[in-house]
Amino acid sequence: MNPAEQSGALERIAQARAGNAEAWGELYRQYAPAIFRFCRRAMPTREDAEDATMDIFIKVRQKLSQYDSSRPFGAWLYTVAANHCWDLLRRRKLRQDLETGEVENMPLEHPDPDALEQLIEQHSNQEVRRALDRLPARSRMALVLRYFAEMSYDDIAQTLGVRRTFVGVVLLRARHQLRDILQGSGPRNLVEEGSR
Amino acid sequence: MNHFDEMACMLYLEGQLDPARARELVAHTGECAACRTLLHALESESHLLSTALTEENESIPARLLGARGWSVPAWVWTLAFGVFAAGAYWLWTNGISPWLDQLTNAGFGGTDLASMILFSGAFWEGWGDMADLIQIAALIVVVVGALLLIRRRLVRRVSAIAVVVAALLFALALPQPAGAADVRRGRSVYVPAGETVHNDLIVAGPSVRIDGTVEGDLIVFTRDLTVTGHVTGDVIAFSVQALIDGSVDGNVRVFTQNTTLEGSVGKNVSAITNSFDLTPKGSVGGGLIALAASADLDGKIQRDLLGIIGRTDLDGLIGGQVWIRGGTLAVASTAQVSGPAVFHGREQPVIASGAKLASPIQVEITQENRRSRRSTAALMIHEIFSYGAALLAGILLVMVFPGFYRATLRETRAIGLPIGVGALALLTGAFLIILGILLLFVGVGAGIAGVLGYAPVLYVAQVFVGAWLGTKILGESSNNANTAIGRIALGLVILHVAGLIPVLGGLTWLAVLLWGTGAVLLGFYRMSRVEIAALPA
Repeated sequence: MNPAEQSGALERIAQARAGNAEAWGELYRQYAPAIFRFCRRAMPTREDAEDATMDIFIKVRQKLSQYDSSRPFGAWLYTVAANHCWDLLRRRKLRQDLETGEVENMPLEHPDPDALEQLIEQHSNQEVRRALDRLPARSRMALVLRYFAEMSYDDIAQTLGVRRTFVGVVLLRARHQLRDILQGSGPRNLVEEGSR
Repeated sequence: MNHFDEMACMLYLEGQLDPARARELVAHTGECAACRTLLHALESESHLLSTALTEENESIPARLLGARGWSVPAWVWTLAFGVFAAGAYWLWTNGISPWLDQLTNAGFGGTDLASMILFSGAFWEGWGDMADLIQIAALIVVVVGALLLIRRRLVRRVSAIAVVVAALLFALALPQPAGAADVRRGRSVYVPAGETVHNDLIVAGPSVRIDGTVEGDLIVFTRDLTVTGHVTGDVIAFSVQALIDGSVDGNVRVFTQNTTLEGSVGKNVSAITNSFDLTPKGSVGGGLIALAASADLDGKIQRDLLGIIGRTDLDGLIGGQVWIRGGTLAVASTAQVSGPAVFHGREQPVIASGAKLASPIQVEITQENRRSRRSTAALMIHEIFSYGAALLAGILLVMVFPGFYRATLRETRAIGLPIGVGALALLTGAFLIILGILLLFVGVGAGIAGVLGYAPVLYVAQVFVGAWLGTKILGESSNNANTAIGRIALGLVILHVAGLIPVLGGLTWLAVLLWGTGAVLLGFYRMSRVEIAALPA
């Protein structure tokens, strides 16, 4: 968001805080598509994403007074969205992979750089999205937070409830799982995680 | 040469590596082709992830943008409107209008919630005074439910509303100020002759006898009730025995085992009772509505008699018309009916020769086990029509309200929650309807409106359970109306076939009713969230 957009958003936020329904409507219309896309990537189904988007905006409207205007509004919105989605997924017990210390400590095989380059060249965006859908919830969420919402490591750590130093491990492991799926071997450790 | 590992390379690309180590990495990759390639591959991977995730490959759902679903062809709207209009016309001409006419003739019309609350001080006081736990609970449920629905819309006014509601509930819970009502409890409550209660009187105890005067309503919870005195308002009684030998200027509403009316009632009588006895001395100024196993009507009813009564002996006078559905009807020679009479029963009525009837009784003999006597072909045709109607309802839902359809179908999947909600809603609904219609707290019109509001929900319940069933069998439907309709069609076939099986069929429909109703209500709730999130307050 450029500075002009940010200042426009700030003005609308101030108006919405003061109870201006039109200003809130504009904010909603401006940001709802992005938040829906975020939810669509983070949640398993389209319906889940629609519901989550609704709930996030209800939450945002309630929390609008807590927004620190020194921070970009979009980033704050993504933080609220990420927390909400992760909360939902956790409640659905899709987060078994988080409680698996062994997986965290499992060494990752060093990739063959040429083979990795080749793998990346061979796959389209759509194939990558399909592979993402097959990832364990935490791995998918980590990639979405980083490469869609462009969140900082600190924010990712806070959202996922892990140590900051562990964020890199989560991301790298997610990449490995994604590569396994793209290679057609399925995400490694997924079977073990799922059976826990 | 010591290579950098993948983690270090990734952290470097992400800007997370500390500066000293980053410098080492840069120096190393200048010399090491393998690490340089890895760095490049990881960067490409990051780029691929970003583009794959941010690419706009899916449309934003219309409902999120505040639109009402996909565009609906004009013919669908026309069909929907036509079906609705035809259904409403049929319902009105065949169901509601005749009933309303009869109720009005019987003296039960003309009461609605607004006029009751705004203009009937006695009614309002009586309600407040009753302070009955169930009523307060129902009130709280309704108020809290309404608040939950509107809380976001009125977010800035919620605290004010909360204060008002709290104040209202507090006022209801407070002991009533002197003069509002007289509440008496005891093993035996007796108002002797000569005593006058200048208030509404609320009484609870095993035995209640009123020989004196009550200048207001009399509300009684007891085993034996005897009224020989004078009540200027209404009598509302929950008891085993009720004998009204005195005079009541208002209405009498009784929920009793046995009811005997020997005195005079100025307005109307409604009774849910085992036996109802209107003695020769008894008189009703308005009409009588009775739900009873047996009724002996020897006295006078100035207006209409409406009843679902097992055995009716009519010896007295009916000033208006008669409509009875039940087992048997005997009309004695002393009987006199001034209006038309209709009897739906198992046997021909026995009419004594001297009976004075304005017109011959219109008789319709209801055959026992009519359903089983109906030919299989007729049953099948009926079932096919019923299936067709349900399918049409499903098609309209999918075409006209796709967002609502999807939201509700999703709620159906939870099974347990919608069944629970459905059971609760049906119980609450039945409770409110009984209160509304029989106690006339909200008036007959409002009661019927409540039933009418409920009916479509109950009807479309089967559509969603059918859709769920179809989806289970054929798999998830794509985002396409035709596949959704196919699943509804299949599911409804199964439900309607299962519904034909004795016993199991009944249980199936009960489950469908609870489950589907709950899902529909949850669907409404889900849809209301869209409005709350998106639209201006």
